[in-house]
Amino acid sequence: MHSAVVHLHGSLVHLLTAAAEEPVSKDPGPIVPELKELYWSAGSFVVFALLMRFWLFPKLKKGMDARYQGIRSAHESADAERSNARAEVADYEAQVAAIKAEAAREVEAARNALEAERQAKLAEVNARLAERRAAAVAEADAERAAARDQIHAAVSDVAGRAGELATGRRPSDEVVTRVVSEVMAR
Amino acid sequence: MEAFSHIAAATGLTGDEAKAAAAASSAGFAYGLAAIGPGIGIGYLVGKSVEAMARQPEAAGMVRTTMFLGIAFTEALALIGFVVFILIGL
Amino acid sequence: MIAESFSFPEINSILRWQDLFVSFNKIALIAVMAGVIGTVVFLLAGRKDASKAPKGVRNLAEVSVEFIEDGIVMQTMGKDGMGWTPFLLSLFIFIYLCNVPGIIPFLQMPATARIAIPMFLALLVWVIYIGVGFKHQGLGYIKSTLFPPGVPKALYILVTPIEFISTILVRPFSLTVRLFANMLAGHILLVTFALLTQSLITAETKQLMLKPMAILPFGMLVFLTAFEVLVAFLQAYIFTILTAVYIGGSTHPEH
Repeated sequence: MHSAVVHLHGSLVHLLTAAAEEPVSKDPGPIVPELKELYWSAGSFVVFALLMRFWLFPKLKKGMDARYQGIRSAHESADAERSNARAEVADYEAQVAAIKAEAAREVEAARNALEAERQAKLAEVNARLAERRAAAVAEADAERAAARDQIHAAVSDVAGRAGELATGRRPSDEVVTRVVSEVMAR
Repeated sequence: MEAFSHIAAATGLTGDEAKAAAAASSAGFAYGLAAIGPGIGIGYLVGKSVEAMARQPEAAGMVRTTMFLGIAFTEALALIGFVVFILIGL
Repeated sequence: MIAESFSFPEINSILRWQDLFVSFNKIALIAVMAGVIGTVVFLLAGRKDASKAPKGVRNLAEVSVEFIEDGIVMQTMGKDGMGWTPFLLSLFIFIYLCNVPGIIPFLQMPATARIAIPMFLALLVWVIYIGVGFKHQGLGYIKSTLFPPGVPKALYILVTPIEFISTILVRPFSLTVRLFANMLAGHILLVTFALLTQSLITAETKQLMLKPMAILPFGMLVFLTAFEVLVAFLQAYIFTILTAVYIGGSTHPEH
């Protein structure tokens, strides 16, 4: 009598070889279903489909959905953070612009003040310069007038004497002075 | 039936042998004839699908699905011919 | 001559398998393994940490779930059909895992090349889409299926029998035959070219050129094996998407 093990071994050997050794009958044709194949395959498919429907698939799907949800929420939070950062950058830029405008205004004011001061000083200096020049001009005029009077006196004197020598008569001072003045004015 | 007797008379085979010979040759005809129509049909179908996909690549997924469905329906005829071939030939 | 030593084996000898135990043969083994492998993959995937980026088994499971959701449910039923995802997913995985042993060495038998599995699945789908039709539309399902609106009354004599045959009779039949015949044809082709290769190599002949010629059917064998990888996936996909189309058609009339 065969033991189950021997039977199993023999079956596995037969599994790898075509079943041609056994007398195959033509009776169940290739398009007639064999009952044993039908119920084994039906049973395994039904069990597999039920397991899939009520246990395996929901478990897997739950994990997938959770992960997709996680990815989506991570995306959304990243978007929110990005827009936050954008707002902060805009804020910072606005502050920078305000400070720059302030600085420009101050610089402008300082420049204006400086310019006014410079103008004032320049005017002062110019005034002083003009004053001095006027003084110098007056002095020079006075000196020139003095020199002319001196020359006038000297020339009058010379002319008087020359007239006296030539005519033996002293011309009147008045005439000499008038003549000299006329000549010098020419 | 008459054909069998003609073959039997011509070749000197017995009735059963002549029947088997006739079955074998008609099985070949059954499959060969059944394959003509679906062959033309599938060729036309796939060619048109490729044309459609080339014209509108964004609709390629839908066209492909429909193409496979069409192939499945068309091919069924050839496969029925094949089953007939199995039934009468082997 | 080769032709004398080569003859194709009886078809049952390449399709029917001895029992491993009582009533449990290789087809049953493959079917059970398909269920077990699918369960184990999704069990392992469910155990892993869901919050991290998916890797390995979990990635495989999630890719298949998204394939069913985006590639099948959304394309045929829209958002309302999301509740059918687990059923379609298990249908797809089961069929794929039954198809794929056709090219796995030492198994080399697609379980769907026996008519039992396609027939059972097609009948299940048939029951489901008719049940869904009655559940969603009540008796209106009969009306919208057999008497489609927008057809002149006189034509119903012609249209109603056609609709009845195509919806109620042909659908499960074509669903069965499509899967079964595709896988059987692939299996027969692989057997044919394997046998051709073997008989050329072992031929007792004096013509030396004959043995190296075995490379030709062998090349074809390799090519067909690669082709079967595609077919295994495609047939599972087509069966699933047709199921989705039928169920979607029952939930919403006129689509």
